[in-house]
Amino acid sequence: MKPIRIFFAGVGGQGTLTATRLLAETALDSGIEVTAGEIHGMAQRGGVVHSFVLLGGYLSPKISMGEADILLGFEPVESLRALPYLRPGGRVLASDAPIPTLSVSMGRETYPSMENIKEGIGKCTEKFFFIPCMELAKKTGIVQTANTVLLGAFFAAGYLPLSLEDFLQSIEKRLAPRLVESNLQAARLGAEFMASV
Amino acid sequence: MNLLDSGPGTRSLLLGNEAIVRGALEAGVGFISCYPGTPSSEVPDTFFRLSKHGDYHFEYSINEKVAMEVAGGASLGGVPSLVTMKHVGVNVAADPMVTLAHIGTPGGLVILCADDPGCHSSQNEQDSRYYVRLAGLPCFEPSTAQECKDMTREAFELSARWQQPVMLRTTTRVNHMRGPVVFGPLSPARTKGAFAREPQRFVSVPAVGRVRHRALLANLETIREEVNRSAWNKIYGQGKTGVIASGVSRAYLGDVLKLQPELMVKVLELGLCYPFPDDLVYNFLENLDRVLILEELEPIMENEVRRICQQKGLAIQVRGKDKDLPLWDEYSTSMVSTALHRLLNLDAPVETGCSVDQSNLPGRPPNLCAGCPHRSVYVQVRKIFGDNAVYSSDIGCYTLGMLPPLKTADFLLCMGSSVSTGCGMSKAIDDPVVAFIGDSTFFHSGITGLINAVYNKHDLFLIILDNRTTAMTGHQPHPGVDQAVFEGKPGRIEIEPLVRASGVNEVRRIKALNQKALSMAIEELKKISGVRVLIAEDPCPLFARKVLGQKRTKKARVAVSDQAALECVRTLACPAFYLEGEEVHINPVHCAGCMVCVQLCPSLKPETAGS
Repeated sequence: MKPIRIFFAGVGGQGTLTATRLLAETALDSGIEVTAGEIHGMAQRGGVVHSFVLLGGYLSPKISMGEADILLGFEPVESLRALPYLRPGGRVLASDAPIPTLSVSMGRETYPSMENIKEGIGKCTEKFFFIPCMELAKKTGIVQTANTVLLGAFFAAGYLPLSLEDFLQSIEKRLAPRLVESNLQAARLGAEFMASV
Repeated sequence: MNLLDSGPGTRSLLLGNEAIVRGALEAGVGFISCYPGTPSSEVPDTFFRLSKHGDYHFEYSINEKVAMEVAGGASLGGVPSLVTMKHVGVNVAADPMVTLAHIGTPGGLVILCADDPGCHSSQNEQDSRYYVRLAGLPCFEPSTAQECKDMTREAFELSARWQQPVMLRTTTRVNHMRGPVVFGPLSPARTKGAFAREPQRFVSVPAVGRVRHRALLANLETIREEVNRSAWNKIYGQGKTGVIASGVSRAYLGDVLKLQPELMVKVLELGLCYPFPDDLVYNFLENLDRVLILEELEPIMENEVRRICQQKGLAIQVRGKDKDLPLWDEYSTSMVSTALHRLLNLDAPVETGCSVDQSNLPGRPPNLCAGCPHRSVYVQVRKIFGDNAVYSSDIGCYTLGMLPPLKTADFLLCMGSSVSTGCGMSKAIDDPVVAFIGDSTFFHSGITGLINAVYNKHDLFLIILDNRTTAMTGHQPHPGVDQAVFEGKPGRIEIEPLVRASGVNEVRRIKALNQKALSMAIEELKKISGVRVLIAEDPCPLFARKVLGQKRTKKARVAVSDQAALECVRTLACPAFYLEGEEVHINPVHCAGCMVCVQLCPSLKPETAGS
């Protein structure tokens, strides 16, 4: 396969690292060579989280500026902030559910409008989709499945030599039994949304 | 995937740190000690998690020096031992480490040292390969998860055979990478050894030290011969242009050469990097015109290569640290690509990342969690002292108090430093000094500073922020933690009697979330001079929820959104608050129910959680 670099951008506590790991394990289970990278520590305290999955034989565990083929944004502003890592012509799949920063919550800074965010991303690539991850996750009854919605959309988009079915199998195999049903549903909802746009 | 059960041939996606654990288990490690520190923490945490099922002895030691000494002792007793820490921890452990290298470690001792180029979670980005040379430690530098496992296993074998401690030097990217690892066979844990008495070797009085230094140097020369032939050091490619790389730079180089095959170079990858393999490197250099050295941080291999060129009279161009490859931060594939292009006199590819104006994006620095007892203490301290005190801080979540509006950290050196640095500061200035230290950090090395403060009659107001866990690095236990939650270790060491036994007479102990008690105790201690200690106790809310299983019983709500409520938002900076225009709200999902805001502001009221 053509090697692919996938950049994850999210907020500490959101489960970005779990999503990173799930994608990496799905790839490995399907016989694709994978290296993934993440940074622990300060990120847990509500800071920015960046992580990486590199498929198809890379050795490096990180993605530098302009190298990502795909940016998976788990939060709108963090998607915008991570754009310098995207290569020209790269693709963006992002959640449309903002998580305000502390400074925004306190009224010190303003959260940019979705129009501004879309415009910013649009300047870098035409290939971007916003996914209503939180809205769809609520349908499963468990908002924590928002990340799985995004991954479901990603698998359905056909950017990888992996199918939604591979992802669903991975959810069944890798997640704790009590989480499987809601996450399967979340992945399917993300995939359905992707098929509809 | 289970690191203890899975048989040889299993292929699993492991974190670099998990792979190190598997490597040690395959080597039959019998004794593991550590002090947790990012990016090394998942190694001891994994051993801890598996310890009910493993045969090895595992301990969280109280600091890195102690961890090095207990592991050193086990190794002297013939047991293969592992000690783990982050790079700054090696500073703490350097004293026993250097002497252990002199006297040797018969059972085998592997020292994991996790460096942090880029300071992802550290106060500096020192290069521990200087310690390798200072102490005389053969050193492995893995670059993949598979190598993390295989090099760890081999480090144990070599350490036992050479009777020298071996360092496994990693960097953050390697510790926290995930990659496929093929397992080898497990060995039974060797938890018992035998001590062969040999005072002329193991009692390092000056007469012994003198002899042992020479023995160490001779041993390192023998080891150097093996390193020259080691399969971990490999040559590939061809041409008159060479590249020598170690650590994660090998991964970056590998990817660049794979993606840009037009870059024709001859490569020497060093996995077993010290003693420096002079003969191997000389043979590699002999037919080259120029060579580039790829190593993050210090020009250590570069200087070795320059030495060899000088000694052997080689007139080749040696390149290393320059504007493309600086002494700070991490390397990357793009930096390596640029450096290779320049080396080959080719035009370097232009940076092609997407540029967006980020100047107006709201920042997202890490901050104290909702319900964190540190916030409660900081708010009250700031209320009473404001900018009229100087705040000595320490290492832990509570360092985040440096940010506005709390602003309760003015200087910080290292673990345990707040006590003693605060003492020095209070001699130098007239303003009062208030020092903060966490419970784990107090046990780590704050207590020695406290005894010194009493003995030398310093003037210091110390606040021990006792949240009953090691919060920052992932809730590891320490002597002050109630061990009943972690099977088999009942009881805990109370901080107050320790403080009193250190000679401190003015001690107050209150609940950290109780604003009134805090206020009274701080006002009282403010009036007293000399060493006085406030112990502010309340558990880390994440620890209380995840480890102790405590449920939240109440939460705060906004009764009236008025000026007072707005002021409370600005004073506390609690992430559970949010504003809609000027209207104050509390996110019921985020509110941890600490009730600090309710105590500070009559416009906020408690209600039962779930209502």
